[in-house]
Amino acid sequence: MKDFDVIVVGGGITGAGTARDCALRGLSVLLIERDDIATGATGRNHGLLHSGARYAVTDRESAAECISENMILKKVARHCVDDTSGLFITLPEDDLAYQATFVESCHAAGIKAEVIDPKEALKMEPSVNPGIIGAVKVPDGCVDPFRLCSANIVDAKLHGAKIALRSEVVGFIKEGDTVRGVKVLDRSTHQVTDYYARVVVNAAGIWGHHIASLAGVNIGMFPAKGALLIFAHRVNGMVINRCRKPANADILVPGDTVCVIGTTSTRVPYEECDNMRVTPEEVSLLLSEGAKLAPCLEHTRILRGYAGVRPLVSADNDPSGRNISRGIVCLDHESRDGVKGLVSITGGKLMTYRLMAEIATDTVCRKLGVEATCQTAKLPLPGSEGGGLEKIAKKIWDVPTTAQKALVGRFGAGAAHLDFGEDKGGVICECEEVTVAEVDAAAEYLDVNDLVDLRRRTRVGMGTCQGELCACRAAGRLAKANGCASKARNDLKAFMRERWKGMYPVAWGETLREASYTQWVYSEVLGLNED
Amino acid sequence: MRFDTVIIGGGLSSLVCGIKLQKAGERCLIISAGQNALHFSSGTFGLLGRLPDGSEVSEPMKSLSFLPEAHPYSKIGVDKMTEYVAGVPDFFESCGVRLHPSPRSGELGMPVNGYRVTPMGSFKPGWLAMDEVTLLQSKDDISWSRALIVNFSGFLDFNAGFIAEGLSRRGVECRVEAVTIADVENLRRNPTEMRSIGIARVMGKESNWKEFGSKVRELVKGEDLVILPEVFGLGDPVIIQWLREMIPAEVMFVGTMPPSVPGIRTQMRLKKSFEAAGGTFLQGDTAVDPLVENGRVISVHTVNLGKLSLSADNFVLASGHLFGKGLEATPSKVYEPVFGLDTDFPSDRKAWCDEDFFAPQGYDGYGVVCDELFRPSIEGRMIENLYVVGSEVGGCNSLYEGSGAGVAIMTAMSVADSILAGR
Repeated sequence: MKDFDVIVVGGGITGAGTARDCALRGLSVLLIERDDIATGATGRNHGLLHSGARYAVTDRESAAECISENMILKKVARHCVDDTSGLFITLPEDDLAYQATFVESCHAAGIKAEVIDPKEALKMEPSVNPGIIGAVKVPDGCVDPFRLCSANIVDAKLHGAKIALRSEVVGFIKEGDTVRGVKVLDRSTHQVTDYYARVVVNAAGIWGHHIASLAGVNIGMFPAKGALLIFAHRVNGMVINRCRKPANADILVPGDTVCVIGTTSTRVPYEECDNMRVTPEEVSLLLSEGAKLAPCLEHTRILRGYAGVRPLVSADNDPSGRNISRGIVCLDHESRDGVKGLVSITGGKLMTYRLMAEIATDTVCRKLGVEATCQTAKLPLPGSEGGGLEKIAKKIWDVPTTAQKALVGRFGAGAAHLDFGEDKGGVICECEEVTVAEVDAAAEYLDVNDLVDLRRRTRVGMGTCQGELCACRAAGRLAKANGCASKARNDLKAFMRERWKGMYPVAWGETLREASYTQWVYSEVLGLNED
Repeated sequence: MRFDTVIIGGGLSSLVCGIKLQKAGERCLIISAGQNALHFSSGTFGLLGRLPDGSEVSEPMKSLSFLPEAHPYSKIGVDKMTEYVAGVPDFFESCGVRLHPSPRSGELGMPVNGYRVTPMGSFKPGWLAMDEVTLLQSKDDISWSRALIVNFSGFLDFNAGFIAEGLSRRGVECRVEAVTIADVENLRRNPTEMRSIGIARVMGKESNWKEFGSKVRELVKGEDLVILPEVFGLGDPVIIQWLREMIPAEVMFVGTMPPSVPGIRTQMRLKKSFEAAGGTFLQGDTAVDPLVENGRVISVHTVNLGKLSLSADNFVLASGHLFGKGLEATPSKVYEPVFGLDTDFPSDRKAWCDEDFFAPQGYDGYGVVCDELFRPSIEGRMIENLYVVGSEVGGCNSLYEGSGAGVAIMTAMSVADSILAGR
């Protein structure tokens, strides 16, 4: 079939959420992604489930969106969310007077914000800087963006959506001023195919600027690079923020077995968006500011650095982009530019994706004259149905092992459907406790093409060893699943290069030590660099 | 406590130096923190596989003159290198470690690089190989037409598919099979036990390797090559020979993911040989708090022994490179943590690493600054009775050159000679 009600461009969280919402409302959907799911900003942020407190003072609208979505995701995406709660701390160098304004603004936006005694805060979160002079507790949390994106894709597919990964939109099919479809390059076969739809939704993040230009429309965007560092330990249990106007490196978010400090905000040219690299200056800034939040970071091993590009829509002349609203922008290009059949959904945040999808889908439905209400605020994502993770694990296994609990953490209730046959119990990734069963399931059901895709679905290679041994095991398993060892071998090379890209900017101490071992194994022992 | 020589580090260079000294009548102590490069060995020792400019080396001794002056081999000099290299097989043989060269041996036993099939199905040059490892004359020295590759069911650290792909590119038709035996199945109940060393322990039992061998024998259907993972003969390599005799085809063993069974066997045998010669091996301890006076090391301490000081006439530092913690790196420097020896590295951190994972990495060549006799210095002052051996010696990118084992053995021999000459 090449004819759809809606084509969604972009396999990030916004595109995935929009495809799911459209499919749930009975529309026929094709999602087109040029690479893999969650390759852009979706997979390159803090993984922070904002309470909205960060924006309460400066951006009331975003703050209100955040707290409302925060509460929704804690229900419908519970297997992707860790409800840690968060602290906004005041350091001696910060103005304590800001705290009152902050709390007041939080309350006005509907965010529960509780001033607590600094000593109490230290008890709640022992990693926090002991020098704090003020602390406010807010309902922040963390969210696994890969899992969230994958769950949306899975549910979209369950409701009939077609997903085309490694497929790039190279042009629009237009009749006069009406968009009728898109020309899509299959990046594996290099063939271009025409796909038709009554509405095309541009949900390509920062690349949405380019997509819109292909349709002859200009969206003035502001590519704001944000760099982050991942540490090898989860030093903090709660999210730690600075209680001040949003600035660089003032959020420390725990996630799974690690924690993440970020971000910076720098305008970058569009051409650089495809290859973001973390600079030494950014590393120094993140480290020195991070240590102010949690001093132990100074001695904690850094796993890697990475950077994403926020798809902000430019407003005024703001060199860093800090003052641009993180709010949602939905553009109907018919009313805005006279181009019919094209909608762009951009701005927003990872954790407001559901609302973005709802707004985009509402617009689509209005255009198509479809009356169907949005269900995503109530309907749990696959994996989040019923009970907590412990409960789900106990339903499947009498006494779940830690690997099985980790599995439920990633697949939610879906873990029950995995094949645990005779050959599947082996552990591929010891850091993240990923089993053969899980890797096979990802290869079979989750559109995994290579090791990097597999990492996004299963966390293989995301742990402290950064893929030292598991990458090779997983490559062997994928070679089996795909029946092509030479591809798996090249994928393994690409995977090791990709892992190194993140370690390179922080290559000293334990990180360099681990890298030197990995280089020994892959060059000397495996000879992966030889033919 | 007093020794003639105290050696810090327990890997290849330490053991070679210690055995040589101990056999010459020196009383030696080795302080070993734990694992070392032998545990992650490729099953071969490399002397020189590639020159710093990237050109491949076939006969390492003929290429020595192309090495820079700061290279450890250049410090030892061609004459001594020739003497040491020729003596290596016998030296190891006397320690119970049998090493064999490439079938294309050079004149007067001078080394010619052979090629090992890697776990990824590619080919790596090597000088001497451990018991089970096959060294081919060249990358094209493939005379087999059909290969049977046998793995253990559920063993993830040996990927037959990659080896099959590598060999089939060279015209060998490959078939992959998996077998299992009861004791290995038992290992699988705890998934993290299914690693090379776990299987090797199980396969040490006679009934097990015999059962495995006969299952493989039944699988052979006219193949002229059978490939098995390197998980046999951990305690006694004779099992490798018996398996070769049982199976009606040529048997080649190919490496697994670490840990390395041949490497660990070699380490165990060298350690045993050192102890049999009367040496003291301190396992699981770390040297700290050295006392250095007037350009001489007087004593060191260890974490476990606390106040007890270990004094000696000579000290040898063999604690490895970054991975062995013989060197440590901060954002601004690479330093040697025990003595604070002078190190050589560029201050601009950008030069430490290449953005490409597979390119030669600058950091690999950084190390302790040494004189011709491998004596280091502290703040420019030479330490008379301290020597550095192995990967900690700066001046060569041994991973890129494929010279890791060679540098370890050659520097160890050279330093042992210097110490013995000074008696």
